[in-house]
Amino acid sequence: MQLRFETRRAKAADTRRQLMAASCALLGAAAARGEEARMAPADSGLLEDWSVDSALAYYHEDGRIQAIEPVVNIAKLFADGQALNFNVTFDSLTGSSPNGALTSRSAQTFASPSGKSSHAYTTAPGQLPVDPHYQDDRIAVAGTWALPLTRVDQLSVGAKLSDEHDFFSVTVDASIAHDFNEKNTTLSFGISEEFDSLQPIGGAPVAGSDYALFEKTGHKSKNGVGALLGVTQVVTRNWLFEFNLSVDRFKGYLNDPYKITSIIDSAGNTTGYEFESRPDQRTRKSAYWENRVALGRQISTGLALRYMRDDWGVRSDTAQLHLRWSFSNLDRYVEPTFRWYRQTAANFYTPFILSTETRNTPYEASDSRLGAFHALTYGLKYAQKLPGLGGREESELSLRVEYYQQTFDERTATPAALQGLDLYPGLKAVLVQVGWRF
Amino acid sequence: MAVLDHERQRDKVAGEASNAPDEALSVEARGENLLAICFTAMASPCEVLLPSTTAPAAALELGAVVAQEAWRVEKKFSRYRSDSVTAWIHENRGTAIEVDRETASLIDFACRCFELSGGLFDVTSGVLRYAWKFDGSDRIPEPAAVERLLPRVGFKKLQWRSPRLLLPDGMELDFGGIGKEYAVDRAYDSLAVRCSDPFLINFGGDLRANRPPPHGPWQVGIERPDTDRRATMILDLQHGALATSGDSRRFLLKDGVRYGHILDPRTGWPIPDSPRSVTVAASSCTEAGLLSTLALLQGARAREFLEEHGVRYWLLQ
Amino acid sequence: MTFKQVSILCLLSITAISSGCASMGVKPWQRDVLAREDMRFDANPLDAAIDDHMYFSKEASSGGRSFAGGGCGCN
Repeated sequence: MQLRFETRRAKAADTRRQLMAASCALLGAAAARGEEARMAPADSGLLEDWSVDSALAYYHEDGRIQAIEPVVNIAKLFADGQALNFNVTFDSLTGSSPNGALTSRSAQTFASPSGKSSHAYTTAPGQLPVDPHYQDDRIAVAGTWALPLTRVDQLSVGAKLSDEHDFFSVTVDASIAHDFNEKNTTLSFGISEEFDSLQPIGGAPVAGSDYALFEKTGHKSKNGVGALLGVTQVVTRNWLFEFNLSVDRFKGYLNDPYKITSIIDSAGNTTGYEFESRPDQRTRKSAYWENRVALGRQISTGLALRYMRDDWGVRSDTAQLHLRWSFSNLDRYVEPTFRWYRQTAANFYTPFILSTETRNTPYEASDSRLGAFHALTYGLKYAQKLPGLGGREESELSLRVEYYQQTFDERTATPAALQGLDLYPGLKAVLVQVGWRF
Repeated sequence: MAVLDHERQRDKVAGEASNAPDEALSVEARGENLLAICFTAMASPCEVLLPSTTAPAAALELGAVVAQEAWRVEKKFSRYRSDSVTAWIHENRGTAIEVDRETASLIDFACRCFELSGGLFDVTSGVLRYAWKFDGSDRIPEPAAVERLLPRVGFKKLQWRSPRLLLPDGMELDFGGIGKEYAVDRAYDSLAVRCSDPFLINFGGDLRANRPPPHGPWQVGIERPDTDRRATMILDLQHGALATSGDSRRFLLKDGVRYGHILDPRTGWPIPDSPRSVTVAASSCTEAGLLSTLALLQGARAREFLEEHGVRYWLLQ
Repeated sequence: MTFKQVSILCLLSITAISSGCASMGVKPWQRDVLAREDMRFDANPLDAAIDDHMYFSKEASSGGRSFAGGGCGCN
């Protein structure tokens, strides 16, 4: 009993010292400030803060394109709740890009889009035709301004500009969000408008025309309008979700000016090529559901599902799962991710045109991005918090790696003569990204 | 002789204090050797005791320094004033705000006390007053009423990283538990740089002295509550601070059970078997006030707590 | 079911769930976990933007989380 009292006494003496230290800290701080009469909270205010988020991504497709993409995002939050966001993205692509033609048993020679003879290229038999001189540099700037209208309403407007040597795009958007149910539910509605101007190298080809004739016209353009309706709902202390319905419609020149479709005969020989011909309108609708669930102080997870369909006949399903596991003192985390994607082919997608068949549709494209395939992404991210610089509290350094693989779903009967050739090689790519946020 | 008046202590229930306190100073003699500059602040009678050899004009000036600081702290932190930092924090609940350095240091202190007391000392427990009205009657609240308020109590629920604070909607910050003692210490520091004479600052029973006057130690009288006022205990104070926590008239009595006004923030109910009052001596008033409050929060263990901590105390059951 | 039927069903469910259930949701002082950085939908905006750009240039779908427009010539 005495011993226990002594232990408690020692512990109490320690607490007493700490209380004394705390009081000294409080009063010492006051004395150090030497405060005089100060009535109003002059140096208090709603949190005003700015933050910078930057990343450098390197993307590499097996035997195809590689890209470097630096991004910087600067966000500023004002005392009255307004927020400004400014983003600059630069990307530089080089490498080989499939031109849409089909693999053949003979060598194939293609002119480059510019028509320059020095850039003509030949594809060996049995290889997928790719243009090896693909090169594109792009710069994009975007800004968003968010303005609280009332305690429960917020207006947000944004604009984006993107420029590359053969493509220029301007997008503007606006949305409003309304909170209710004690901010457990948020309803948002937004619209966007995009104007794109294309100046393809060598000019835009006449849709569906013979490749050999090289009929090119001048600049082209397309417009898009989009609308989005969303609900964000807090379900429990640990779970909230977001559900969005969106629709967009693009009109104008929707072809890929550099892609061609092979015309083959019944023996599987390529007899010619055509430039692609897509409809001049496309409407897409999608439903998106994203969840965030906290599974504990250190673990949280997210699941997102998306269903999309358009009037070109493409339907897609996407499921994305991530898990964030923070280490015990919350200064580091790892985040594995997994994504599954599947799409059906556009109804005018065709990997080749059989010269013997009569065509019942004016449209055709063999761009693999309009074909039927499924894709898997495996990713892992590691992030570490570091002390901040120059008065900033904290910064975060991160490394992210992703592996993306597309596997084609063959739907078209392969002509007997082309059996054994890998007509749909799919895609394998790796993304490595370092990020720094402060 | 300074007098600790238990009945007037912490009578902040008199919240009808207007936004413009009665800012008047008066000087009076206190026995043969002392004079007192008196004023009202934080709904308590306040005084500064100086040797009677001090010139009246100088005494008033020194008294004014103390009074200004008391009124400044009151205006800044009182939850009854619409222009206080506390009111401004409450207006901006649910938003991240940046508080000034003095408020930040008080919140840091409250945070430290919360940790060291194992959660008993909690400046977010003020909302419990919506259920508990300590008016001497027998109207104790319904358990459901207290249950409903409990989720709004808990220092852990607010987000604090100096100087950034996010106080969730529905929660309140109440500096009342440390405000008066803090004011005594701030006023003490302001006076100590200007006055080399012995002095004693007393804000309604929370007091601090720098050194004893020539004629002998400061004599502090502690009244025993609920009993005959004449039975006053006299303490000799050389220097340092005294603070008292107690309940006097602020209690409820039902079925013979006395519910003191010290509430356990974890349950929302009064701490059972708390002593009626605890007076603690320490080097600063803030520290003394904190120890006396923590002692009361120990309930039946109050005396043991004070013994373990090796403080000088006077306890009244 | 057609897209239109699916979306009407979803909208109705969400509206019913959101408006009917006062029990769904939390009190303001219970938002501690939701305030965590990893519980925000835009927890990693640059990662999302870089991924979206990659998927936009390799697939026929885009958007969902936000506007579907591409704003670049890669598709």
